[in-house]
Amino acid sequence: MLGLRVSPRTTPFHQNAAFPKRETLENAGDDDVEKLVAENALIVIGRRGCCMSHVVKRLLLGLGVNPLVYDVDEDREEGVVQELVRINVSGVSGCGSGEKVALPAVYVGGKLFGGLDKVMSTHISGELVPILKEVGALWL
Amino acid sequence: MTELPSILPALVFMICLVRFSVPAEGKMNTTSTHFVPPRRVGIYEPLHQIGMWGENFKGNGTLNTPCPIIVPPDPKLDNSEDTSHGTAGTPHRFDQEASTSRHTDKIQRRLAQNREAARKSRLRKKAYVQQLETSRLKLIQLEQELDRARQQGFSIGGGVDAASSLSFSGSMNPGIGAFEMEYGHWVEEQNRQICELRALLHGHASDIELRMLVDNVMKHYFELFRMKSAAAKADVFYVMSGMWKTSAERFFLWIGGFRPSELLKVLLPHLDVLTEQQLLDVCNLRQSCQQAEDALSQGMEKLQQTLAESVAAGQLGEGSYVPQMTSAMERLEALVSFVNQADHLRHETLQQMYRILTTRQAARGLMALGEYFQRLRALSSSWATRQREPA
Repeated sequence: MLGLRVSPRTTPFHQNAAFPKRETLENAGDDDVEKLVAENALIVIGRRGCCMSHVVKRLLLGLGVNPLVYDVDEDREEGVVQELVRINVSGVSGCGSGEKVALPAVYVGGKLFGGLDKVMSTHISGELVPILKEVGALWL
Repeated sequence: MTELPSILPALVFMICLVRFSVPAEGKMNTTSTHFVPPRRVGIYEPLHQIGMWGENFKGNGTLNTPCPIIVPPDPKLDNSEDTSHGTAGTPHRFDQEASTSRHTDKIQRRLAQNREAARKSRLRKKAYVQQLETSRLKLIQLEQELDRARQQGFSIGGGVDAASSLSFSGSMNPGIGAFEMEYGHWVEEQNRQICELRALLHGHASDIELRMLVDNVMKHYFELFRMKSAAAKADVFYVMSGMWKTSAERFFLWIGGFRPSELLKVLLPHLDVLTEQQLLDVCNLRQSCQQAEDALSQGMEKLQQTLAESVAAGQLGEGSYVPQMTSAMERLEALVSFVNQADHLRHETLQQMYRILTTRQAARGLMALGEYFQRLRALSSSWATRQREPA
């Protein structure tokens, strides 16, 4: 009942998508954030216990993706967001705009992809899966 | 014996002289100026005031009677005249002056009180009438709203909670009240658009005309999502419970609205022939829509779970109760995001359908969707009527 069912709608190759081994990072240092973003094809950074973050994770899992998840504690949130803005501005992960990054934030191929809004709209329009395949987060 | 008759007329004459001389004297003195005006005033003013009070009597019956005020001056005047007969000389005249000036004051005071009382009762009447006017306007307004609600197919008899909570929420929360009024207009506009779609489709209108209408219908749905977002900020539970919808619509409720996957199920049978590419796109859309819906549902379940835990863990002791409530309150804030995300999904699904289909197909699909909601509303009102009929 809590959503861990094998849905017939996922592709056959990912029958086990419902029971993935998910890597969850906790309390990494702020400087590690930059490394995490840069080195992973797909990372979801969210507040610990946040339900929107949970939605993003479940959506990606439902597609057969095994996303890296970084749950941030409430007291660390400010620092992490500042770090994300910094790497955005420096052009490493983003277009250089200094606007605040809202959590949950999804980084695809080292670049800021967006929040739940963005993930939803690109999925409905059919663009999400090709993008994920391109960065190697999803195989077939 | 014969002397008596001769004396009598003389006596009578003398008595008469005495009788009439003194009053004449009195009148010739300054008291004449005192006497006449009060009497004149006594006669005219009270009568005038009776007239005014007569008007006020018609308005409300809360006045003092004017009669006692008129009567006293006259007996007093008569008395003063009587006293002038018996005695003569300055002390008597002094009494007359003193009593008349006293009487004048009293009369003036009484008249002033009259005027004041009349003025006050006029003001009271004015206020009462104004109150009646505003109540009347409000009644007309309420009747209009009720008519409109009945037309929309609200279950007023069978769904007592719906009607009472509508007015209750509306009166308690201005944001919700505004939303309900706007929604009434929204439904009217939607009905009008459905008729127009039907007319254009059967009438073989040009693609350009059809496209314009389709664009308007789409914009109209997006407008509803915007309205709901504002209403969610005012009262998220209202939106989550779909309180503005009819009972049958609420049966299918999913996070404050219709399920996007349901939308597609309703649209597709009416789309006639689809190209291969279209078929593929539609299949993909159905799948991604379902996946997004599932993800949101799971998020909602998690929210319910954590909220339940917060509420259950709250202890009714000092100190520990308040923090639990604040964390529960924070979780409720997340509900607003859920409503917004669900509407966002509905928006995107409609948008993608629009991209996949041709103008004519989109027109047919939107008409089918609109009619579906119309039928749900009609079902609600039929059900309500059925409930009201005795077995």
